[in-house]
Amino acid sequence: MRARLGVVAAIAGLLLAGAPAWAHHAFAAEFDANKPLKLHGVVTKWELINPHSWINLDVKSADGKVTGWMVEGGSPNALFRLGFTKDSLPPGTEIIVEGFQSKDGTNRAVGANLTFTDGRKLFLGSSAPGSNPDRPSLTPPKDPGKN
Amino acid sequence: MSRLAGPLVALAIASGVALLAPVPLAGQAPPSAKTGTPSRTPDGQPDLQGIWTNATLTPLERPAELAGREFYTEQELAEIEKRAQEKPRSPESAGTVAHYDFAQYGLDPNQAKRASNRRTSLIVDPPDGKIPPLTPEGRKRAAERAEARKRSGPFDGPETRPLGERCIWMAGEGPPMLPEAYNANIQIQQGPGYVAILQEEIHDVRIIPLDGRPHVGRKIRLWMGDPRGRWEGNTLVVDTTNFTDRTNFRGSSENLHVIERFTRTAEDTILYEFTVEDPATWARSWKAELPMVKTQGPIFEYACHEGNYGMANILRGARAQEQAAEEAAKAKK
Repeated sequence: MRARLGVVAAIAGLLLAGAPAWAHHAFAAEFDANKPLKLHGVVTKWELINPHSWINLDVKSADGKVTGWMVEGGSPNALFRLGFTKDSLPPGTEIIVEGFQSKDGTNRAVGANLTFTDGRKLFLGSSAPGSNPDRPSLTPPKDPGKN
Repeated sequence: MSRLAGPLVALAIASGVALLAPVPLAGQAPPSAKTGTPSRTPDGQPDLQGIWTNATLTPLERPAELAGREFYTEQELAEIEKRAQEKPRSPESAGTVAHYDFAQYGLDPNQAKRASNRRTSLIVDPPDGKIPPLTPEGRKRAAERAEARKRSGPFDGPETRPLGERCIWMAGEGPPMLPEAYNANIQIQQGPGYVAILQEEIHDVRIIPLDGRPHVGRKIRLWMGDPRGRWEGNTLVVDTTNFTDRTNFRGSSENLHVIERFTRTAEDTILYEFTVEDPATWARSWKAELPMVKTQGPIFEYACHEGNYGMANILRGARAQEQAAEEAAKAKK
């Protein structure tokens, strides 16, 4: 029984400790956890670059003013291994990003999650735990945002 | 023309030699499971080529709760792996501040292929599975490094930022190589007289000569040390010295000495062992091992500098905060 508890504790330890999941830089170095935001916009460019991908999007406010934003995402290597291709997020796609703004207060943010207007999560559908790179490629959404 | 002739002649000779060896000539032929004899490259080296991952659930050091236990039972291991799958890492479980949805962004280690390992720690020696205690000199050095970090002001400029942020070196690259949190992929390529090891993150290739040449002079120091390889039977042994103390491994000095051993134990597995010694840091040498398993390629380019918007954002963020603090101070007066 004692050994069993030990194992359970060790599992918890594994799950908690692990590696710093954002290996290239610490979240807090670049972004501000006190500045959460929700952006609803249209993709203008998706930069599949290392160490992080960047989604560029235009966000229209209530008064019709359009503001450009850049949102940091996962490494292209990781995304490709999930089945992504460069066509998975074409310009014109309407998305909603929840994330956190950069510490310098400019229009840059880190995405915590990303959904299409119909509620589908962008990446989650094909990233079931334990999945591996053998899964088929993701195709772009059929009906990307029109405005 | 002359640039091609050398390798071609070497290849021809090597192929002839390989024909005499009692193993299939083709480099891609699987090793015999019965004899454990690996296939050979055209020039006769045991074949380690391919794309591998060293992702693992096993921690480097043995957790305190498992003191005295070197291995999990099969049943326990199955339970651990099942739980790991059931509980994807999330910002909350990782104990960090707001963060990515790791699964969504491909950053969940459970999404990566990894080898099963019944060991409770990667460290196999000392037998307690722990890094030996630091020597007094090692402790002093650790304190000095911590002090230096405070003095320099970590956000003053790129030079004071961590090597990973600067796209120079990730700790898992070593050597010794330990898995990165993601992109824990390694490509091994062999040619006559050399073995090259590429780690996906952060793009460095170690080119390891096998011709027995001595290490470079003591004054020459390299980010990842100066490697020399040799074959001991079917095991590739890589001996690395001439480190710089900027890439210290677990508090080591620049006199760190790393010995890595790569043995192809199955068609899809390499046993990776390493021993580190540095009398200026640890009272004794220590050793760890972990399996590397074949994974699907290709390795994607990690052109880190070109896309490193993060560095500018980080420094600009620090300046913005300083300015805000100054203005707040003025407003108080």
